[in-house]
Amino acid sequence: MANGYTIEDNIIVINRELTKLDIFLRDFLEILKRHSDYLVVSGYVSICSGRTRATEDVDVLFLMMEKDRFDLLLEELQNNNFWCYQGDSSDEVYPYLKNMDNIRFARVGETFPNIELIPINESRKAKFFEFTHPQGIRVKNFELKIPPIEFEILYKEIILGSDKDVADAKHLRIFFSDIIKKEKFKEYETIIRQENK
Amino acid sequence: MKKPITDLDYVEFYAKKMKEDDSLFKQQKILIESQLESSSSLFKNMFGKGDNFKSNAREYLKSIGLIKPLK
Repeated sequence: MANGYTIEDNIIVINRELTKLDIFLRDFLEILKRHSDYLVVSGYVSICSGRTRATEDVDVLFLMMEKDRFDLLLEELQNNNFWCYQGDSSDEVYPYLKNMDNIRFARVGETFPNIELIPINESRKAKFFEFTHPQGIRVKNFELKIPPIEFEILYKEIILGSDKDVADAKHLRIFFSDIIKKEKFKEYETIIRQENK
Repeated sequence: MKKPITDLDYVEFYAKKMKEDDSLFKQQKILIESQLESSSSLFKNMFGKGDNFKSNAREYLKSIGLIKPLK
């Protein structure tokens, strides 16, 4: 019997095997990373660290990009067995991003799970902050970027606030109680409350 | 450790256990993958295979608000 996680060089290492949900996300990020920086947020962060609950999507922030760059991303995703809910061509999909609306991708022949790809820029203060202050987390050989744990907890408690989010936050507070820094909550709360303004 | 009663009590109970015992992740993996497989099977049956899959899926996704009309 070992602890649920360890810390190695500031990376949280979760001591478990990969699930099919991890592999789905890993395959998507392998492509996305070649075109944009990213941050995985919300429910997956809790599930990755042991929360046992159903999920049908994984939320991924990425920096808003120009259409010619998005053309390449969409093409590579489609060539690697992903389809986009919003359309099959960049002309159909890009207008959603231009409106700063989220778009979703699933594996060809599947509907769920899906990746909810969330465009951000500097105007989204809280999201931009977490995006630029990532925490590394690793499961086996799959390493990815998530928000600071304290930030994720507060975002779920203050902004999202559903029963599911409150439960996710509680899981994170307890599971990571040994590494959570109380002073970070004060710092992040100010930033997160700007999201409501 | 107090006996869990509410949903949040169970969240607390398992978070404490998992923090100290990584063997519980095996159970979590089974539950997560079981839900994904059920969901996959359900929607494959609903939308069929091949050319019709995406159009059927998109129609359904619009009906539940996961594809929103472009503003």
